[in-house]
Amino acid sequence: MSKAIKWLLAAAGLMALLLWPLTRPLTVSGVDLPDHRPDPVNGEQVFIAGGCDSCHGENLAGGLELRSGFGTFLVPNISPDLATGIGGWTALDLVNSMMLGTSPEGRHYYPAFPYTSYTRMKVQDIIDLKAYIDTREPANNRVGPHQIAFPWSLRRGIGLWKLMYLDQAPVVAPASADPAWERGRYLVEAVGHCGECHTARNPLGGMKLSMWLAGGPDPEGEGRVPNITPHPDGLQAWSAADIVYYLESGFTPDFDTVGGSMVKVQEHIALLPASDRQAIALYLKSVPARP
Amino acid sequence: MVRIISMGSLLALQLMASVAWAADPVQEQRSELMKGARDAAKTVGGMLKGELDFDAAAAMESFQVWADVAARTGDLFPEGSETGYDTEARETIWTDREGFNQKLSEFTQAVDGAIEASPQSIEELKASAGPVFKTCKGCHEGYRIEDES
Repeated sequence: MSKAIKWLLAAAGLMALLLWPLTRPLTVSGVDLPDHRPDPVNGEQVFIAGGCDSCHGENLAGGLELRSGFGTFLVPNISPDLATGIGGWTALDLVNSMMLGTSPEGRHYYPAFPYTSYTRMKVQDIIDLKAYIDTREPANNRVGPHQIAFPWSLRRGIGLWKLMYLDQAPVVAPASADPAWERGRYLVEAVGHCGECHTARNPLGGMKLSMWLAGGPDPEGEGRVPNITPHPDGLQAWSAADIVYYLESGFTPDFDTVGGSMVKVQEHIALLPASDRQAIALYLKSVPARP
Repeated sequence: MVRIISMGSLLALQLMASVAWAADPVQEQRSELMKGARDAAKTVGGMLKGELDFDAAAAMESFQVWADVAARTGDLFPEGSETGYDTEARETIWTDREGFNQKLSEFTQAVDGAIEASPQSIEELKASAGPVFKTCKGCHEGYRIEDES
């Protein structure tokens, strides 16, 4: 073995040693949870705003295949089934999975699960969400493992990814103390995880926050996800009332209809209180206009 | 004389236009058909939104446009027209024709129901057009490529 290779191996080993603690899956402990009585009624609103069943299925049994450049992800069962779902989870387990992307066994989740958005959620809302999910019918369905290619199959590497892209800070700094605007920010940036599709990603799969909500290629293949910033390429011509009407009815100002995966999203948002749709519109009209 | 010539050229133009239309590729024919459906939705939707006054005759005209769309859509997605001319048709139309036909038949039924209902008030319009709108989305969900244009 040449000296250069030995040095390289030694350097790689040292890097791995240094990175190992940095890539550790993080969790919060029970003492960090607020004292909060679970409210399944609010939990249902959180569930609707997040559109959990869009990916996990109407009966929450999972199984949907999400194809990506990294491989195929299989959507897990989140019904309260004890054997194959999340029936055995505590509220803390759900907090760790949604806010830190860490499973109850202490493994990293792949960010196909949009915890980069959920990390901005309120802990109380996740506790309520767990209480709501527990009221649903258990669905026995064992979902197989993801089919991911090397080196992405090494989950520990996700720890590095999280260091770069997992951030609880608001994307758009509050422009005012208006609670409606803050509600809109919360719905778009956190629970509704709108940025996951409406923001372009870099080759590592991280969202380009400098292009927040400016649209990008459709993650499911053909077509483009539209720019929803107040830019001429985006929603500049739409009034806040147009945005509200679209979310309520599925019609653009030209009376084209919503299509693709946005149909389920729109139909979920239509079930929320009108004030939530107004809050989303208020926020969208305020974000930086990007081409 | 001038008038006769201009009338003649107008007729010639119209003739040319209709010949050109008939020769249009099927991708563009269906795109035009969908735009007609959208314009009809603009009339009905405008009334429901409160931007236009309720007009029973105009609503029925829109329903008739949709009935025409329903009757012609099935033939406008032949094999070989999967791509080209910026078509927004998703490949699922060809890989899952049964599902596509099912969505088309739901649209047809909803339109037939609306025509039969012949709404005479804004409430009745809402009740009969709502199910049609639902089927528009229902098909665009799985069978249309979403693009900004």
